[in-house]
Amino acid sequence: MTNEYSLIDQILAGEQHLYTELVNRYKSYAFTIAHKILENRPEAEEAAQDAFIKAYHHLKSFNRESKFSTWLYRIAFNTAISYKRKRKASFQSIENVIVEYEPGEDSLERTDKKLFINQAMSKLNETDRLALNLFYLQEFSLEEIADITGMQANTVKVRVHRARQRLADELKSVLQKEALTL
Amino acid sequence: MKISQAQDDKLFEYMDGGLKGIEKENFEQLLKTTPALQARLEELRKLDAELRTIKLEQPSKNFTQRVMSKLDQYPVRSNFSFRNGIILLAGVLVAVGIGSLLVAGGVFDGTNTIDLNQTIVPVNKYIEKPIPTFNIDGKLMVNIIILLNLALAFLVLDRAILKPWFERRRMSV
Repeated sequence: MTNEYSLIDQILAGEQHLYTELVNRYKSYAFTIAHKILENRPEAEEAAQDAFIKAYHHLKSFNRESKFSTWLYRIAFNTAISYKRKRKASFQSIENVIVEYEPGEDSLERTDKKLFINQAMSKLNETDRLALNLFYLQEFSLEEIADITGMQANTVKVRVHRARQRLADELKSVLQKEALTL
Repeated sequence: MKISQAQDDKLFEYMDGGLKGIEKENFEQLLKTTPALQARLEELRKLDAELRTIKLEQPSKNFTQRVMSKLDQYPVRSNFSFRNGIILLAGVLVAVGIGSLLVAGGVFDGTNTIDLNQTIVPVNKYIEKPIPTFNIDGKLMVNIIILLNLALAFLVLDRAILKPWFERRRMSV
């Protein structure tokens, strides 16, 4: 943490190139946050880049009471949310969302399950979806997720809980429908 | 048997390791004797196992480069401070208030006529045709000025106060 703060001090002193280190350190999480909200890679990439640029220009206002990463992820969250709000022209119905997934080396059954889960996830609202993803990335405490999303820790707990319930029910109904069509 | 919301909550707590001691033992006992709960636990475990495969996503390879190249392109922020915004807004509102009071007091009542023929150049001496006269409704003019000031006040409130305030809120954790 001290190392990170001294890095921030150096950047504030004018050593702009050192910001590369912070970008490299946190870009995956910032991008993941934006992608979970926007569900569109190019847009998420743009939002995440925008978040880093905003963070750089507001670095002076980072009060160091929280971790730099938490502060940055909150900016990424807010930026992605405002991108989503601006995206009125290309509005898609939640039922018609095209879910991106990478088949990779998974078995067909596993890929199907992943697809169902992604479909079910796309029906959650963006904050619940993000909270659930951050919870399962297992890098964030409930308090950190609360800081990023601007909610109370208890609210995050309840929302993660409810989101999982909805996913379980959704998955169950999809699998039942699948079984009926066989 | 239908599983209640409370039982579902307990199942999640059990699955996440949130139940301890006697509470855990009691719940495990209940699980053994309730097949519906066992089935639901199985469903939730399957979901949990799937969710645990969520991976961190990677942006494009030139992500960092693009951020660094755009750092200086960030739009220059106005030097107009939050404090100056409040002072300007207060000034505009005071002007609107004074204007409204004067209008209400009837100071601008009546229509004034400006006769350019008398004030600028005498007719017949330098010009042949008389210049038309203008009627100015003082009250209407002041009302327009007040309206313009109100529009300016809204603009100042938005640009110099609300936007920076929301921006600050977004940047603070």
